[in-house]
Order: sequence, then structure tokens, then C-alpha cells
Amino acid sequence: MVDVLQLATFVVIVLIAVAWYLSYSAARLDRLHAKAEGAMSALDAQLIRRAEAALELANSGVLDPASALLVADAATESLERTTEHPVTDDLLDGQHFGGREQVESDLTGALTAALPGEVVAGLRARADEFVTDELDRVAASVLRVQLARRFHNDAVRDVRRVRAKRTVRWFGLAGYAALPEVVVFDDDVPLGLPG
Amino acid sequence: MVCPYAWDVPGGVQFHVRDIAEHFIRQGHEVWVLAPAESDANLPGYVTSVGRPVPVRYNGSVARVTLGPATSARVSRWLEAGDFDVLHLHEPLNPSVSLVALWASAEPVVATFHSAMLRSRALHAAHPLLRPSLEKIRGRIAVSEDALGTVQRHLGGMAFIIPNGVHVDSFAQAPVRSEWAGTSEAPTVAFLGRVDEPRKGLEVALKAMPALLDAHPGIRLLVAGPGDASDLLKEADPRAAAATVALGMVTDDDKASLLRSVDAYLAPHLGGESFGIVLVEAMAAGAPVVASDLPAFAAVLDGGATGILFETGSPQGLAHAVLGLLADPARGEHLRRAGRARSRIFDWGVVADKVMAVYETVIAGAAAEPEEPAPQGLWGRLVRGVPGGGN
Repeated sequence: MVDVLQLATFVVIVLIAVAWYLSYSAARLDRLHAKAEGAMSALDAQLIRRAEAALELANSGVLDPASALLVADAATESLERTTEHPVTDDLLDGQHFGGREQVESDLTGALTAALPGEVVAGLRARADEFVTDELDRVAASVLRVQLARRFHNDAVRDVRRVRAKRTVRWFGLAGYAALPEVVVFDDDVPLGLPG
Repeated sequence: MVCPYAWDVPGGVQFHVRDIAEHFIRQGHEVWVLAPAESDANLPGYVTSVGRPVPVRYNGSVARVTLGPATSARVSRWLEAGDFDVLHLHEPLNPSVSLVALWASAEPVVATFHSAMLRSRALHAAHPLLRPSLEKIRGRIAVSEDALGTVQRHLGGMAFIIPNGVHVDSFAQAPVRSEWAGTSEAPTVAFLGRVDEPRKGLEVALKAMPALLDAHPGIRLLVAGPGDASDLLKEADPRAAAATVALGMVTDDDKASLLRSVDAYLAPHLGGESFGIVLVEAMAAGAPVVASDLPAFAAVLDGGATGILFETGSPQGLAHAVLGLLADPARGEHLRRAGRARSRIFDWGVVADKVMAVYETVIAGAAAEPEEPAPQGLWGRLVRGVPGGGN
């Protein structure tokens, strides 16, 4: 009799422990998903800002016409893709990038081609406040895109690592949440700018 | 911002935190720093002390840390009172107040990794415990490639590299001190760093001295840094010892003046340096830099374009480099100019702008997250695993 009681107590304790662990894991996973989602929104916002800054620079008339056209085209493409696929209305809860990698890489390439070191140095040498301002905006948005993409990918890696755990898979703790994916595109614009 | 090491003891991480904090305060941001301190006296207004650090053996060296329930309580109170937009932790992989703050935090966290840590058994063993806390970090910064390696080894994933900064102007405008300035008959070279720390390489400099004395009998080696040099000097060549001037520990102002005055700054380090901040200071002050060809130093010196690199640990290499420099004043002048220009890119203004961009990105990400109800009570905290988050 005593043995049965002891056993029952033991089983109850184990069940409580398992229940706590599962609930805790699910909450942790939920937090990680939220982090990845927030990071994706931040990346989306920074990409829009980068495209806007690039478009403004292209339209400001300080670049030669060919470079301006190249940048304007890539920036417009990027902005169109954002409005066509707003991340917020996404069926996948904003955890994927909608295949925009190529478009963003293209904008990076256009900016790199249009703004080699000597052009930037020349534009800065004019000491025109408007031009410097435009360049600073592009440089700032380029840096923020780089940061946002890295932080998003770190968040995604955390999610994927936890979701690969056996407990999470066996007990379906992830529910129906989509598996977020890392976003890989070229965001390295060597802008001969400070930093 | 949380600094893991004692505020009133000089060190790279402390200066990093101080310089960034003061830069942001000048820009009008509200910055509060939490750090251990030996005493509450002489702390600037923005620093809150978490108490005295105690020495503990960790990962093969003695770490001075502040731990315990009283510390946890202080950290929680500080976080609560501050109501911060973003929490910036330094060295969160060490057992320190940074780790405690990470555990207790509910705000968006940015972490900066400073050291090049090859491996840590403790970290490996405690990994499952630390993981959930480390997952709170939204933005990672590494101060160098080596520090980035630490992040990749211990956490996986990436970090954004933002190198350390230096107040270029305070070095560039430091007054020249005649007793340290060299002449053509009696040039001066400077060494900075702990003298009794073998990896700082004072021994290499001393071994190079005889060759330098043969060519320039009046040359003096000015040694500035804490520690007792008498043992090294006893073992060194008597001529080298006689030409060495030990200045002991110097103030920041004296350090800048020293670098402004000398004909060359020697960095004969043997390794273990993740970032050569003194090299940047020397360049800012306009001292030609002669440094070991460690990867970190080569990166700072732009692969040798703004300073002279010699084979690490080779006294002959060091002597050869210094002799070449002293024989060619035009080269020295060129290096002074190139070094000054190079040091600008490490200026705090540029660094701080990047750190601010990290804060903004992290805050934007946190703001865009779907709302989750704050956990209530003990059960909520246990289940959600967000210590200190709810109340």
C-alpha cells in the first residue's frame, strides 16, 4: 500500500516536472518566434528606408545620368516588391522574406556601381550640405540594413536550433508556426564613407 | 550599460564603456552604467556601483567579479529604476554582473564581446542553463575578428564588428614634453603596457636595445606601465638596462604626451591581443608605430601601410625596423601623417554612431514584435521563464 502511494507521488511529481518543462519550452519557443518576427519587420523597414534614400539620391541630380537611372531602377523595384508583398499581411506571419533577396542584392550592386570611392570622395569634396546629407542617409541606411539582416538571421538560428530539439518535435510544441528562414543577400556596399 | 569589471581599475573594457557612455551623454542621450567598483568614491554621476569585486579563479586566470544574491538584488533594482529602452551588456560570456543583468532583463539586449576566448570548459558545461538567457540578446557586437571568433565558437551565428574607438583629438593635441622628446643624437622610443606581463613583449624590446645602442649611443627606451620591471632589467644586457627609463604607471594625459614626444612607439606584443587600442592612440598622437605582425595589429595598421610590422618575438626584426625608421626622417614624417589619418577611422564619434545604429535596429525589432501578456506571479514567471519581467 505504502509502495503504491510512494509510486503514485513519484509519478505525479514527474508528470508535473514534464508538464512544466514542456510549457516552459513552448513559451521559450514562442518568444524566439516573436523575436525573429520583430527582427524581420525591422529588416523590412530598413530596406524600405534604404530604397527611399537611394531613390532620393538618384533623383537629386548629383549622380551621372547612367548611374542615376541604374540606382533609381533598382530602388523602385525594391519599393514595388515591398508594397506588393507587405510583410505584415503575410500568410506566414511575417517570418519569411518573399523571395526579395535578388531585388535587394541588385540594389546593393547598383549602389556599389554608382558610388565607387572616388565618386563619393568627389561628392563630399563639394561640401554641399544637401549632397552630404543624401550620402549620409544612404550610408546610414546601408549600415542599418546590414545590422538588421544579421540580427534577424541570429534570431532565426535560435528558433531553428530550439525547434530541432527532440522534445519540441515529438510534442509538436511549435504548433503550426512556419519555420523561419535566414535571409541571404548581398548588403555590402563599400561606400568610401566614414566607417 | 553594464560593465563587468571594476570601474576604478583601468582596463580596456572599462575605457570602452566610459568613452561610449560619455559620448552619448554629450549627444543628449540618457545613459546609466552599472559596474563593480572598489569604492564608491570618485565614481561619475552616471555610474551605479554593484559592490566590491572579489577575485575568483575562472578559465585559467583570476577574474575579479561581483556575484551573490545582494548583487542580483542590486541589478534588479537598477533595471527597474532605469526603465531602459535598451540594455547594453559587455562580455556576457564571463561570470559577471553582465550575466546577472542578462538573466534579470526584460528589455531589448545588445551585447558586446571584447575578448578572444579560445575555449571554456565552464561555458560548455553550463550551456543548457545559459542558452535561454543568451537567446535574449538581439544584437551582438564584436570589437575584432578574434572576438567574433569567440562568438561563433561559443554561441554560433554572427556578430557585427565595430572596432574600439579612441578620442583622436585628445591625443593629437597633447603637449610635447621636452624630457621625453628625442633629438637626432639621443632619439627616444616608447613602450606601453604591463611590464611584468610577458606577452606584452618588453623583453623583446630590451633584447633589441644593444643593436640600437650600437648605432645610436644616446637612444633611450621609455617604459610606461604598471608592474615591477627590476627583474627583467637585471636579466637584460647592462647597456640596455642603463638606457631604459621606467616611468611606472602614467596618467592618460602623460600617456598622450609621451606618445606625442617620442620618435617611435614600440608594440612588441607576443600575442593574446584582440585589438591594438594603444596602436591607435600612438597613431593619433603622431608617433610612428613599430609593431609585431600579429593579425590584430596588422589590421589596425592597414597591413603595414600606416606603421612598420616586424616578425613577432624577433629582437633583430624590431631593431632593424627601428634603425630603418631613425635613418629615414622622411619615412617617419610620412608615417606620422598616415597614422594620424588612419586613427580618425577609429574615432569614437564614428564608433558611437554605429553602436547607436545597433540600438535603433534592436529597438525597432523589439517594437515590431507581437504583444505578449506580461507574466503574472511566480507561476507565470516559472512557466514563461522571464525572471523579473512581470513585476
